[in-house]
Amino acid sequence: MAAHNLGTELDLSWISKVQVNHPAVLRRAQQVQARRTVKKEWQAAWLLKAVTFIDFTTLSGDDTSSNVQRLCYKAKYPIREDLLKALNMHDKDITTAAVCVYPARVCDAVRALKAAGCNIPVASVATGFPAGQTHLKTRLEEIRLAVEDGATEIDVVINRSLVLTGQWEGSDFIKTSTGKETVNATFPVAIVMLRAIRDFFWKTGNKIGFKPAGGIRSAKDALAWLSLIKEELGDEWLKPELFRIGASTLLSDIERQIYHHVTGRYAAYHDLPMS
Amino acid sequence: MAAATRTAPRAREIFTTLEYGPAPESHACALAWLDTQDRHLGHYVNGKWLKPERRNSVPCQDPITGENLAICLQAQAEDVAAAVEAARTALENWSTLPGARRAQHLTRLAKMIQKHQRLLWTLESLVTGRAVREVRDRDVPLAQQLLQYHAVQAHTQEEALAGWEPMGVIGLIVPPTFSFLEMMWRICPALAVGCTVVVLVPPASPAPLLLAQLAGELGSFPGILNMISGPTSLGPVLASQPGVQKVAFCGAVEEGRTLRRTLAGQGLELSLALGAESLLLLTEAADVDSAVEGVVDATWSDRSQVFQAGDVPSDSPFYPPTLISDLPPASPCAQTEVPWPLVVASPFRTAKEALAVANGTPRGGSASVWSERLGQALELGYRLRMGIVWINAHGLRDPAVPTGGCKESGSSWHGGPDGLYEYLRPSGTPARQPSLSENLNYDTFGLAVPSTLPAGPETGPSSAPPYGLFVGGRFQAPGARSSRPIQDSHGNLHGYVAEGGAKDIRGAVEAAHQAAPGWVGQSPGARAALLGALAAALERRESALAARLERHGVELKVAKAEVELSVRRLRAWGARAQAQGHTLQVAELRGPVLRLREPLGVLAIVCPDEWPLLAFVSLLAPALAHGNTVVLVPSGTCPIPALEVCQDVATLLPAGLVNVVTGDRDHLTRCLALHQDVQALWYFGSVQGSQFVEWASAGNLKPVWVNRGLPRAWDQDAEGAGPELGLRAAQTKALWLPMGD
Repeated sequence: MAAHNLGTELDLSWISKVQVNHPAVLRRAQQVQARRTVKKEWQAAWLLKAVTFIDFTTLSGDDTSSNVQRLCYKAKYPIREDLLKALNMHDKDITTAAVCVYPARVCDAVRALKAAGCNIPVASVATGFPAGQTHLKTRLEEIRLAVEDGATEIDVVINRSLVLTGQWEGSDFIKTSTGKETVNATFPVAIVMLRAIRDFFWKTGNKIGFKPAGGIRSAKDALAWLSLIKEELGDEWLKPELFRIGASTLLSDIERQIYHHVTGRYAAYHDLPMS
Repeated sequence: MAAATRTAPRAREIFTTLEYGPAPESHACALAWLDTQDRHLGHYVNGKWLKPERRNSVPCQDPITGENLAICLQAQAEDVAAAVEAARTALENWSTLPGARRAQHLTRLAKMIQKHQRLLWTLESLVTGRAVREVRDRDVPLAQQLLQYHAVQAHTQEEALAGWEPMGVIGLIVPPTFSFLEMMWRICPALAVGCTVVVLVPPASPAPLLLAQLAGELGSFPGILNMISGPTSLGPVLASQPGVQKVAFCGAVEEGRTLRRTLAGQGLELSLALGAESLLLLTEAADVDSAVEGVVDATWSDRSQVFQAGDVPSDSPFYPPTLISDLPPASPCAQTEVPWPLVVASPFRTAKEALAVANGTPRGGSASVWSERLGQALELGYRLRMGIVWINAHGLRDPAVPTGGCKESGSSWHGGPDGLYEYLRPSGTPARQPSLSENLNYDTFGLAVPSTLPAGPETGPSSAPPYGLFVGGRFQAPGARSSRPIQDSHGNLHGYVAEGGAKDIRGAVEAAHQAAPGWVGQSPGARAALLGALAAALERRESALAARLERHGVELKVAKAEVELSVRRLRAWGARAQAQGHTLQVAELRGPVLRLREPLGVLAIVCPDEWPLLAFVSLLAPALAHGNTVVLVPSGTCPIPALEVCQDVATLLPAGLVNVVTGDRDHLTRCLALHQDVQALWYFGSVQGSQFVEWASAGNLKPVWVNRGLPRAWDQDAEGAGPELGLRAAQTKALWLPMGD
């Protein structure tokens, strides 16, 4: 993880000075998806890079140690070995950025990753995910327990009642939403957030990370997200320390695209190992 | 498991650098089309390819690689004549079709473009070097929308535009760096209203030829759209062909000026769309990031001179996008138009200063204002002297919104209702006169003022003191301190009027400018009230005015009718001025786009000799009602009724609003036509005068309206009080207001 955000005094005048031209942001959002495309080897390379940004996630009510174990192994071997060999990328240790699970499953994830010989971090959602409407005491205890179990990253749900009454908190990373809302990671929202990250960096020198989550399913989307980060923040932010994508099915679409690039054919469902 | 078949060693490097890499589109279909013409392009006339023998040709090259793609013929005068002939033949049929049939044809053309869009965008991007995505995502869809919009306009033409008829054959001249879309903006309205078109494209432009071919292959109505590829020197040749009623030119300012001078007196309408400059006004209340996006967008939008930079070799024809700051207006570079992809950033301290800097150039094309404060944004938007203003956006276009300019950007319009009127004229207007007065000496026309000498004993009633000039709200003596006699229809002396000269014109224009802000600031209701008061005053003066007219041989009954009609018209125009400016619904945009009708500024009017009172009032009323201030030269033979009206103007209207200068008409016309600070000139006089006015207007490219020596039936409402007067008395501004929060 990057250096922590040491924080600053809350200065609400920063917020009141912000101007957002909504129609222009919408136009920019449309452009981002249409304007620049990456093809062929560039697409393959970008997609592999995108894999290294994924917070590979399972947040279902019926999660157990068995599906968490499958998830962790897929996180360690996200792309089939022979495909990586064909791209001469088999020795670059391509894994996802992290594995993201509920607090109760952190133990299982840590154990599975150890067995796989993989040192990627385990991230836990915490603090009454997804609604965040639990007591502060239990929320803090959740975080403590998850960390005790071996989680090294925590996705905190902000207390929306504080936000709506103007009482803000600071963080190292900002995430578009829990991923469990009706509307999650959209480009217009992301553009505004990225510009805020940029402004904060210019004012304080602190780099804050960004994580879109929810609804990012296709490889094409992933490419658009990478392009957006590249254009709004620059190549410095295209590292797992500063950029994550919260996703689960995205990985299989990426793998299919890579399969197609390497073999020229469209894979069947059973051609690629499941997570 | 399927075996891996391809290796890509470069993926490893790209994984680290995350560079974009090229994403080329295949040019195969464009090359295949060029092959169908054997790589030898000619012209497209009357539904067929035209490849005459023994012509010069130029190569058409890929601007990126320099590879020769085809050779293109250069036309000569006979080819132009053939094209115009085809257009004329097609006109008879096309212009008399019911609008619905024309609409159908345009819709078919839109579908044809849809079918071949890939070929069109590939060809255009190959030859001009523009990014495929620009042509594919902006130009081609917009071209189809243009056709659809204008099809709808054609459909409703009989009701909505009753009283207007298509002009005839239109000659369109496009500059070397243009996109086929700019051509479409003009072709669509022209065809929709029933005109036929001949386009002179620069050689080495295959895309317009493809377009003409697509139109020709619809089968019916060949000859409505003809393309000739040739040098711009053929422009005057095109204009001089009999049957061409109007020339529309888009290109550089100086070429536009030269064309204006060359075509003076040829009886053609000329519309100019000049320059490509666009301005951004960034306030402290703006969303700066979005504004930066706006600047970048503007750089890449329909300016085909701009190509993608990036990793291009230094000997390439591309220029990298460049930001220039700290360049004050006095610097010589800042005075010419700034070509994209250069962007000049100028600071300002207050909104007032911003307006001064923005309005302080001769150009008046388009601008965008970036501010999240509505009041501030609208204030700036209204006060910028531009044809198009976008609030918090840049470069938005829609077929339903008129796009044009003012000042030296030319006052021609495309899109929206204004775009249609460019190709229409009031029904029953006589067709264009053939070329005349080739030996008019522009240097000496109206230069000398004949001296007034005593002409024998004065008979008739005891002479009243000579009338002065009416300038700045009061009668004053002319600078030359000289007067000229006015004789009535029996040859007796009627009175003396001032001999106005250049200094008086200068003073009158200054007075008009001083009165302008106040007059513009008045609400339409207030203006209507003042015009009504003037009307009432004229009514009270009826018998005196009728008597004056009688002395000039007008029958008393007719004279009284003339006065009454004048009074009615003053009131009518006041009422019409109240209905100004309306909102347009734009399909793609959320939020209104306002079509504002703004005053031109100072309008100079040289009134006709006939109908000395009625014409004077019929011209004065619409000019004032639309917020202009005026300088008038009344009838030469009978100026006294106009001066009588001024006595009422002196007491009722603000000073400087109306200024009347009498004297030698040619001399005064010369002064007004050459004046750089007169915004428009209406001339109703002689053939030579009309030609001079057209020629001289090239100085500041002021819009002019001349009668070419033909009298006008001022007593008929169609000619004396028709919608044409209202259209010419104001200019349009499109104000875009995208919404959203």
